[in-house]
Amino acid sequence: MSAKVRKFWNLYNYIVVFVIIFAAFLIINGKATSWTTVTNILLHSSILGTIALGQGLIVLTGDIDLSVGSSFVLAGGIAIVLFNSTNSIFLLLLCCLALGAAFGFVNGFMVGKLKMPSFIVTLATMLIYRSISQYMMNEMGQTRYSIDATLSKYRALFNFGNGNFCTISLLAIVWLALAVFMIYMTTSTKFGKRIYALGSNPKGAMLAGINVVWTKISVFVICGLTVGLATFLKIAKDTSFDPATSGKNYELYSIAAVVIGGISMSGGKGKMLGIIFGTMSFTLIDKIITALGMNALLNDTVKGVILLAAVGLQMIQNRSRD
Amino acid sequence: MELLKMEHISKSFFGVKVLDDVSLTIRPGEVHALLGENGAGKSTLMNILSGIYTRDEGTVTFNGQELPNGSISAAENAGIAFVHQELNIFNDLEVYENLFLGKEITAAGGRLKKKAMIREAEELFREMDVPLKPRIPAGELVTGAKQVLEIAKALHSKAQLIILDEPTTALNNNEIEHFFGLIRSLKEKGTAFIFISHKMPEIFAIADEYTVLRNSRFISTGFIKDTTAEAITRDMVGETYANEDVYVQRELGDEILKVEHLTGSGFSDVSFSCRKGEIVGFTGLQGAGCSEVLQTIFGALPIHSGKVEVGGSSMSAETIHRAMKTGIGMIPANRKENSVIPDMSLLENMYISRHTIDTKMPHISKKAEEKRFGDYKKTLNIKANNSDDLIVSLSGGNQQKIILARWLDTDAQVLLMDNPTQGIDVGAKEEIYRLILKLAESGKTIIVNTLEIPELKKIADRCIVFYHGGIAAELPHAQIEENTVMMYSTGAL
Repeated sequence: MSAKVRKFWNLYNYIVVFVIIFAAFLIINGKATSWTTVTNILLHSSILGTIALGQGLIVLTGDIDLSVGSSFVLAGGIAIVLFNSTNSIFLLLLCCLALGAAFGFVNGFMVGKLKMPSFIVTLATMLIYRSISQYMMNEMGQTRYSIDATLSKYRALFNFGNGNFCTISLLAIVWLALAVFMIYMTTSTKFGKRIYALGSNPKGAMLAGINVVWTKISVFVICGLTVGLATFLKIAKDTSFDPATSGKNYELYSIAAVVIGGISMSGGKGKMLGIIFGTMSFTLIDKIITALGMNALLNDTVKGVILLAAVGLQMIQNRSRD
Repeated sequence: MELLKMEHISKSFFGVKVLDDVSLTIRPGEVHALLGENGAGKSTLMNILSGIYTRDEGTVTFNGQELPNGSISAAENAGIAFVHQELNIFNDLEVYENLFLGKEITAAGGRLKKKAMIREAEELFREMDVPLKPRIPAGELVTGAKQVLEIAKALHSKAQLIILDEPTTALNNNEIEHFFGLIRSLKEKGTAFIFISHKMPEIFAIADEYTVLRNSRFISTGFIKDTTAEAITRDMVGETYANEDVYVQRELGDEILKVEHLTGSGFSDVSFSCRKGEIVGFTGLQGAGCSEVLQTIFGALPIHSGKVEVGGSSMSAETIHRAMKTGIGMIPANRKENSVIPDMSLLENMYISRHTIDTKMPHISKKAEEKRFGDYKKTLNIKANNSDDLIVSLSGGNQQKIILARWLDTDAQVLLMDNPTQGIDVGAKEEIYRLILKLAESGKTIIVNTLEIPELKKIADRCIVFYHGGIAAELPHAQIEENTVMMYSTGAL
């Protein structure tokens, strides 16, 4: 392999992976493919993709957030209850973001300030948040958190969640705009460089003057905000949350999207751009399974295999560099 | 008869010759110093000897038998042991378990015969005359004792030739003496050593013969007693290398740093002050507290009592951020672990610290940074192609210059340098000394902590010797002298 090809592969292997999966999808789907099929990939990536962007920042610092799926469902439930009693889209958005940020701060405080391992902290909050969400539901004697369709602002919310701009879903536009901001933040701002430095060598970063505690807390809060935004997008799209199944496995799927996107779990290595492609690759796997008419229960089997293959490729890349 | 003959060894990586027709001969019971600058080919040669790399050309004969090409087990079985710079000791295992790792004595069914192993370990330690105990966790050993355990492992596997790669880097002077004592007694019994080191006094204290490599080639070999440090250094560096004194007396400014009755972890009641443009040398055996004093001034370790004043105003909150704001910068010891950000480029490694104190604008302008980098590259003479290259692609000396640029970039007036020439080859060391002097001339105040006294002789206006957590002596430039310093730092004076 020539040096140029290798360099391209090392930098952009996630695009190659995406193109391969996309091509496979086009072949399998055949004549059934339309422009809507393609734009749907973006739409169906937008909610998980928004969470994955936050997860990606945390992984870049060398930590992990297993609580994103549970934060998502707990924030969603509370926000829907609030909307039903206030009929305000603005308060709905604010509530989603504030709750997301608060949940993120709890994780960040324990990881950054109390120096507890992020795997354990977020494993615990993952259990706590989903359990609270289900308990609240049970107390209210219902089975789903649903937006009251008789409210005057319901239509506007629904129209945003299911609307398009130039055939592209509004949700996807929000996601991609956030991605552009995240790419800028990680490549061209002082804060972004601190994230990479922290993930690459925590002790070195500390001795270079970086406030490790605050950087960690900030990153968890930002991840919480992305979860809050994803919550809002989900409410607008589906107008309801099921505390038992909504956002289930999102912690694992978001990590998978981050890893397929070429970000190293050891921190400090990878690009936010990769997460866009990582998420879309992940979404495409669902669509391929549907197109093949396979049993949906095999869904996670295929996803698992693709994840192993993607990480395996990255390992080969690392080895060739040594 | 020779124990080892390596003849006409050549090796290339990706078309680049890293060893070109190199030969090396070792006799039984000798300590042979293998010398050369970083990148001269020493490690490659040793890796070929121990079977880690294959050789392209040449032969290796050990005890009269030719060794197969690139076989680690063949080299081990023949009796060659390699003690790497990074010790291969498992802290969570006990001493005897480390000794027997992979060679455990077992009964039927795989049950470990612990008693037999412990007895054998005790016997080995008694024979070596070292105070190691088989039953304590290896993590509780000091570095010197771990080094001894590595030697014990080598002897236990019946090694006749032990390769020591910079074995004294992590040892204090006391431990080094013990370690050399052990080597001397082992060579009486016929064990041979290849000793890789950058420290001349050690080589002259322990080695019998030497071989110098330079630029992948064999340069010279001979008896230590027939040569001088200057002659060997000349062979290593190539061009006529003069051990000239680079030190020049300078006008000093007003007092800028004042430390009063400072007590912290590992030292107590330390008072001293520095003037603008002054170079102060810190020295002391490991554990004497020099490094801890620097880290405490920088805010990386807590102040227990006492105070630090910079430019007349006291540093209130002792955090790194606060220290940086008041104009203190620190190049920590152990570059790889404490300063290099391995996944970042040269440019990013340079600017990262300035941007933690200059937070007015969140945006980083690459163009402006490139310009600053270009300036540092010129003034510090950094050998690098592209500012986007990873810092780990540079040699140790150039990496250290990037770290130096990082702190100059923060506009630090007081630079604390903890062992700044660690793992840097002779030529680059000389350059770093000149840079330190140049910076002092431009008004920077510099404290250099080092164990190498000749280094202080070259640059320091004043030397503060630490002993057991306190200041033992303050010596002006003219009185910095190896013997005196050593007497103070061992508490003999």
